[in-house]
Amino acid sequence: MKRTPGKSARTALTDNATGWLMMLPALAGLTVFVVAPFVLALGMSLTHLRMGSPLGAQFVGFEQYLRLLQDASFQRALINNALFALGVVPVQTLLALGLALALNRPLRGVAVFRTLFFMPVVFPMSLVAVVWILIYAPGPNGLLNGVLGALTLHHWQPRDFLHDPHLALPAIMLTSIWQGAGFQMVILLAGLQEIPRERYEAAAVDGAGPWQRFLHITLPGLRNPLIFVVIVTSILSFRVFDQVRIMTQGGPLDATTTVVYQAVQSAFDRAQAGRGAAMAVVFFVIVLAITLIQRRLLRTEREVR
Amino acid sequence: MRREPPVSLSRRAMLGSLAALPLAAMLGGCRSGTSKLSARKPTLEVWAHAGQVGERRTLVRLADSFNAGRRRFAVHLTLLPEGAYNGQLQAAALAGQLPDVFEFDGPYTADYAWMGQLQPLDELLPATLREDLLPSILSQGTYNKRLYAVGQYDSGLGLFARRDRLTAIGASLPTSPGDAWTVEHFEDLLARLAAATGNRPPLDLKLNYRGEWFTYGFAPALWSAGGGLVSRDTRPPHAGGVLDGSKSTAAMRHIQRWTAAGRVDPNLDDAAFTTGRVALSWVGHWEYPRYRQAVGRDLALLPLPDFGEGARTGEGSWTWGISAGCRHPEAAAEFLRYLLQTSNVLAMSGANGAPPATRSAVARSPLYAQDGPLRLYIEQLAEGYALPRPRTPAYPAITSAFQQAFHAVRDGAKVPETLHRAATLIDRDIADNKGYPNREAVRG
Repeated sequence: MKRTPGKSARTALTDNATGWLMMLPALAGLTVFVVAPFVLALGMSLTHLRMGSPLGAQFVGFEQYLRLLQDASFQRALINNALFALGVVPVQTLLALGLALALNRPLRGVAVFRTLFFMPVVFPMSLVAVVWILIYAPGPNGLLNGVLGALTLHHWQPRDFLHDPHLALPAIMLTSIWQGAGFQMVILLAGLQEIPRERYEAAAVDGAGPWQRFLHITLPGLRNPLIFVVIVTSILSFRVFDQVRIMTQGGPLDATTTVVYQAVQSAFDRAQAGRGAAMAVVFFVIVLAITLIQRRLLRTEREVR
Repeated sequence: MRREPPVSLSRRAMLGSLAALPLAAMLGGCRSGTSKLSARKPTLEVWAHAGQVGERRTLVRLADSFNAGRRRFAVHLTLLPEGAYNGQLQAAALAGQLPDVFEFDGPYTADYAWMGQLQPLDELLPATLREDLLPSILSQGTYNKRLYAVGQYDSGLGLFARRDRLTAIGASLPTSPGDAWTVEHFEDLLARLAAATGNRPPLDLKLNYRGEWFTYGFAPALWSAGGGLVSRDTRPPHAGGVLDGSKSTAAMRHIQRWTAAGRVDPNLDDAAFTTGRVALSWVGHWEYPRYRQAVGRDLALLPLPDFGEGARTGEGSWTWGISAGCRHPEAAAEFLRYLLQTSNVLAMSGANGAPPATRSAVARSPLYAQDGPLRLYIEQLAEGYALPRPRTPAYPAITSAFQQAFHAVRDGAKVPETLHRAATLIDRDIADNKGYPNREAVRG
């Protein structure tokens, strides 16, 4: 059959319509569960809305945002989120890469190790947090204190990790890294197995050592999985909430408070929907900015290449 | 059956239906079985929190026996997990989907009443029943001079003690709230108890608990010092000058001294008292069954220490209300009256160990009658030692700010600054809501 230009345009049109039709369920879901609540949050953040209040919502302009900027606890939450991301993203990514490399060998029992390292990902964060509270228990009989005491021949002074302003945030970071690294490991492992063996063989023939092979074959081959892992870890580390709620409630002295923890506290513990919404909007802007910056940085690099 | 003005109704309906979507999905799995409802009988929807096992079972049994009686209405009981219970009620309230009868935590009475979610019970419950209720139950359920909520039980707060440890250091035990230890004497005893056990912490403050405990458990220390969370006599209340006043500050300084000096067991395993690590446990009535089993006849119940102006204690617990949207308030009130029958109050008190809410049940309770082991709680409730937490719709903001302040003080923050910050947060919430005016005033 011969195709006339008109006909193909019509086909394109029906194709288009079919495309939209098939996207409809996902779009409807996104609109109802993401776009609409966000637009509502934007609106609410310009008011003093209290949940269920007969006073209704009074427009107060940017008052909520001004207060957030002046609020020492909220500033601390922003800093904590940044510290958390700066600590967790590199460490967790490197750890996951190391695990993936170690487990990408044809060793006996490797499947068992893969399962073991992936297991924390399957546990709910709430369960992990409760277990780690016991690990961090204060006093010489606490699990971690006991282990450190034994390792240092009892030179270690027992600490109350979750109530020490300097140790609480690192403690939560360690828990998060332990829980999350397995997920990145699996993604990087899949990436490693995509790299053709021939490249390694060719490099070996050319006389490249293990380090050179890692630098010039493995890393470039893992480029896309690594970008994915870094972006997702950054976003997740800004979303950190469960560990904080369960392990420290933001304490001691705001040392572990985070933006999402404060937003939930405002909106659901104190019924201050307006304030909570303003925090959610700030959170959205930060995550959006990070994603855009990261994509921009990583993309230009690719073009230079 | 009050209605909002149309503008705000549509707005709220929209917000509400969004909030209700995940809620509806969650509720699907949680219906508890009070089955065997005859299909034609109209039913009242009833929501309650899933408390301890005994409490839960007793409530299901009471609902079943209510349904077994030949009545015009049946009740359909839904139990929701305690942790998220208040949040789910709030979501249902926004969606206009509250059940006919629901249980809620006592200090939230003012909040629900102010939001217009509750019907007054004054005309629905007979005067004889209202007079039989303990004064603390009436004051907890009253907002704006109307009764909105009634509970089957109240609560008790005090110190559980291991008698032998205290007599070993030569301490004399107070027998009534009137002769409570002064806080200085209490601190001296703590030091002596610690010295007797190689400097181990002798006191349990239930630091392992979460949320509302800290307001319930430690606001009495502020009251006893002559301070408090917010002003009691002004409308609207204010926290400035009260929560950050010198008396509240002094009380919080005492508590900080105990934690800083290592007198308080962190109690991560919730077994500090039962395993004998500590001699004193600052906690509510609910620990009596477990403690009694662990310690036996050596268990003593003492009033909290006196911080200057006499011992004070908390009161209030879970309570029942009828929603504004309930179309059969008489039938709902019949269910509440059933719950408050002496035998049913005693059944619940027997299951959870709480002080019964009616005088007639107290008189027949083995734990709370004259010479009962927990009689102290009744003396505290009846003789003015117990105070309700602030009865204002600002309560969610007040309790959240105080809990945060308590944790900061425990972790060593400067007391005056911490309390001042909490007071500022509370006063700002009250100002943002225009002092929480009455609904009548709002609707003009």
